Amino acid sequence: MMHPSIVGAAALLLALSANPAAAADVEHGKVLYQTCAACHTERPDALGPSLKGVVGRQSAALEDFRYSNPMRRANLVWDENNLRAYIQDPQAKVKGNRMPYGGLTDAKDVDDIIAYLKVLK
Amino acid sequence: MATRLKEVDAVMVGMGWTGSILARELTKAGLTVVGLERGEDLTPRENFALPAVRDELRYSYRLELIQDPALETVTFRHRPSESALPMRRFGSFLPGNSVGGAANHWGGQHWRYLPSDHLTRSHIVERYGAKAIPDDMTIQDWAMTYDELEPHYDKFDKLCGVSGKAGNLRGQKIEGGNVFEGPRSNEYPTPPLIMCESGLMFAKVAKELGYHPFPQPASNASRAYTNSEGLTLGGCQYCGFCERNGCEANAKAGPHVCVLPVLRADPKFTLRARAWVSRLSYDKAAKKVTGVVFTDTRTGEEYEQPAGLVVLSAYVFGNISLLLNSGIGEPYDPVTQKGVVGRNYCYQLSRLGVTLFFEDKVFNPFMGSPGTQMVMDDFDGDNFDHGGLGFLGGCKIQLGHADGRPISYRPVPPGTPRWGSTWKKATAKWYQHAARITLSGSNYASRYNYIDLDPTYKDQLGRPLLRMTYNFVENDYKVADYCMEVALKIARAMNPTMMGPPGLRRGDYNTVPYQSTHNTGGTIIGHDPKTSVVNRYLQAWDADNLFIMGASTFPQQPAYNPTGPVGALAYWSADAIVTKYLKSPGPLVHA
Repeated sequence: MMHPSIVGAAALLLALSANPAAAADVEHGKVLYQTCAACHTERPDALGPSLKGVVGRQSAALEDFRYSNPMRRANLVWDENNLRAYIQDPQAKVKGNRMPYGGLTDAKDVDDIIAYLKVLK
Repeated sequence: MATRLKEVDAVMVGMGWTGSILARELTKAGLTVVGLERGEDLTPRENFALPAVRDELRYSYRLELIQDPALETVTFRHRPSESALPMRRFGSFLPGNSVGGAANHWGGQHWRYLPSDHLTRSHIVERYGAKAIPDDMTIQDWAMTYDELEPHYDKFDKLCGVSGKAGNLRGQKIEGGNVFEGPRSNEYPTPPLIMCESGLMFAKVAKELGYHPFPQPASNASRAYTNSEGLTLGGCQYCGFCERNGCEANAKAGPHVCVLPVLRADPKFTLRARAWVSRLSYDKAAKKVTGVVFTDTRTGEEYEQPAGLVVLSAYVFGNISLLLNSGIGEPYDPVTQKGVVGRNYCYQLSRLGVTLFFEDKVFNPFMGSPGTQMVMDDFDGDNFDHGGLGFLGGCKIQLGHADGRPISYRPVPPGTPRWGSTWKKATAKWYQHAARITLSGSNYASRYNYIDLDPTYKDQLGRPLLRMTYNFVENDYKVADYCMEVALKIARAMNPTMMGPPGLRRGDYNTVPYQSTHNTGGTIIGHDPKTSVVNRYLQAWDADNLFIMGASTFPQQPAYNPTGPVGALAYWSADAIVTKYLKSPGPLVHA
């Protein structure tokens, strides 16, 4: 068995050297996205706004969804960094928004979801 | 004069769980269906969204999702010698109102009744002899066995995305699940929710004492799940606002999440909210109902909706009231014990428990759902030997943190004043450190517990209110006392810093504090029209095109919460209507 500090160092090295975009797994992101899709659907009565084409979109941009005031005031562009911060801890990124989701802690999972959002059009 | 509407194939009276399921199954079979609902229409997007939905004052105390007693309530008395008075504010139980029914504000505890619960009387007679049943205990068998109902329990599980762990998979007992449950054909649709610390502590001690703890099965999906209707449930966020509130995350099963989106899109289905059904049109000679009469609550106008098939899918009280106010079936008389409508009204033993305080533990009680509790069924139903005990039935015993909401969850040690600065200090000090073992017990039918029409008080439509005559009997007190001893044994073994006094049942039933919205009986299932209102397919003995859903059909109440069997019976009855009744309309059982 490897010494824990060696495992840790190897993981750190991997994290530093790997390009997160290249390492991200779209298929895995699609699986994880099922949790999001419980609310973010295309149905008119959906609880969350559609996420088709969300990457690069202005926050609170869809006309047919009633966003919370904090989200309306957020004035963000949903680029990769903003999405990452929001998915990891929604209340830290946009305090008072009304998405009932506690956040995703695993950085790799977040990357995979973002990779999937990029192809979701 | 009521305006006569165009006849439809089937009409649902009430659009909660059972109305939605029946409407779906019947439209699938090609019928045109109208769903009538007394309350208003809701949508999760408008009504269950953050932040408004996590408002404890609005939903738990001002009871926004609950039936308005100014429109219709019940009168209450403890015994036939008293005059009943109307309940002007609901307390002990909270009937739902609006599309989605009580499923909008249920917690989500999702059970199947034990195989022995389905055969309550014959099982007891076989094991202990007929003399074990007291004269006034009017318990009966269900008219179908657990095994017959199992495929329908399974179907309802898959509609709801129930989370849990099987303890009996096709006859094979599985440790960690409920080893007392009847054989399941499938594992739960989603795994158990993440258990909280207090639940794990309880389970460890219970196991060391030789009991069989397992995670509470819950209609709070533990992860995203696509149900049998192709609709998606989200994963539970452990917000602690299940009971009394709608679910903001689509994770708590209910008609709005699990059925209605499909029905609303079906041209064969029409939903009419604010349609309050006052009576059924009944042809006594032909033993048929011909439709229903309802009042539009916005205009006060009356309409008649003719239908080939009528499904009573209101709450327990609505179903009983509509039979009594339409002259269908003979009202029950406790003196002669003749008549059937209103017979075997039962409730559930609750508010039993003991609070433990642990100075060195931190429980974060604000996180949880009804599924974050560990339960043991070793003293439930007839899972233990009642020989020589002098009572029948039992309790499920559980501990966990489900809903540590800011107003109602204020555990304080015994001796703390009920208000003032000392109380404030104690509630701040102990909020994080308390856990309560709770017990829910069976409530077996008793001759003098029943429902009939009140001679004095009327509802807003001018109909007599229902009158509830109800009290606990000796059997109930004994069940509670016996099971509390078990709970106290576990409590002491958990080694708390201190314990509160055991909350037991003493004196008369009190209608004021909340206990449970698990009222049952009054239109019960049975094999014999002399002692039941509906046959094994939930078809009324007195009208073959009338089917009655829900817990009003339970002959007595086991310890478990009723929604699981309510859903299973809806599928069971729908199956009988589609595969048997529509092919050859008429009585499905000849008495």
